Amino acid sequence: MMIEVRLFATLRDARGKVLMLEPDTVSTAGDILSALDIPQEAVAILLINGFHSRVEDSVKNGDIVALFPPVGGG
Amino acid sequence: MELSAEQTQRYSRHLVMKELGVSGQEKLRKAKVLIIGAGGLGSPAALYLAAAGIGSIGIADGDRVELSNLQRQILHSTADIGRPKVDSARESLERLNPDVQVKTHPGPVNAGNIMELIAAYDFILECTDNFPAKFLINDACVLSQKPFCHGSVIRFFGQVMTYVPGQGPCYRCVFKSPPPQNAVPAAKQAGVIGAAAGMIGCLQALEAIKYITGAGDLLTGQLLTFDALDMDFQKISLQPDPDCPVCGPKPAILKPFDCEQPL
Repeated sequence: MMIEVRLFATLRDARGKVLMLEPDTVSTAGDILSALDIPQEAVAILLINGFHSRVEDSVKNGDIVALFPPVGGG
Repeated sequence: MELSAEQTQRYSRHLVMKELGVSGQEKLRKAKVLIIGAGGLGSPAALYLAAAGIGSIGIADGDRVELSNLQRQILHSTADIGRPKVDSARESLERLNPDVQVKTHPGPVNAGNIMELIAAYDFILECTDNFPAKFLINDACVLSQKPFCHGSVIRFFGQVMTYVPGQGPCYRCVFKSPPPQNAVPAAKQAGVIGAAAGMIGCLQALEAIKYITGAGDLLTGQLLTFDALDMDFQKISLQPDPDCPVCGPKPAILKPFDCEQPL
């Protein structure tokens, strides 16, 4: 089992769409952002298993984390 | 007012649908919809709303048509370069459907004029291209108790959500405040594909039509995201923020205010 990280829109740049992280390398959603070099302000919506979450929330083996950036174009 | 023979033909594909019919068409004719931003989102939205027979369409935009707009802003044509967008928008819409009254609002939308601007309309489409404008429109609509549909797009990706007073979160509940400048790429730097903007603008037009006619369910309490590269739609459930500074029970924002970037 791994932690699955799904990235959307511009967060996919140089990272890809779906990343699998070893659960022993990250304990919170914030650790995932650090591991992927994503600044906190570049994330508008953070979901853990479909639930709105915060960077300090913990993540565990088998979790699916989805990250959406702010999108402001028109 | 009864439909003329010509209108009966023009709207015949509406009239046969149970969700619309003659009474739905009458609701569309009486409706007043304001589109803020006559760009990549506002263009398709305005064209479809005019085609559908919305009685009164307002177009607010302070910009002039540039050559780099034409790859996606289908209200405007090559001959319009340099003209105010509201003028070419009006011409396109009137050419499409002379039933529609088009009111133009040239010049920038800001905290000083937005409350008066939105007051005359039943539904607002937020089709702007920057975060300060999106928050300004949200706050003004919440304070005025006006329903609106937010749309945003970048590259092949877009999102839509609808706010109806008392029915779920506002844009600020979800997105809190404009991100710091340079924290996220703007469309000018990052690019945007015209048809992706078209998708989102069409979804916004659909939300307006559904709100007016009462057909179906709106994207209240939901963010719909669209990724054209995967052809993937996602619906994210959203909750109101009990501490929201504009729509929460103890609001700190009591009137609209401008952030740093002009609209």
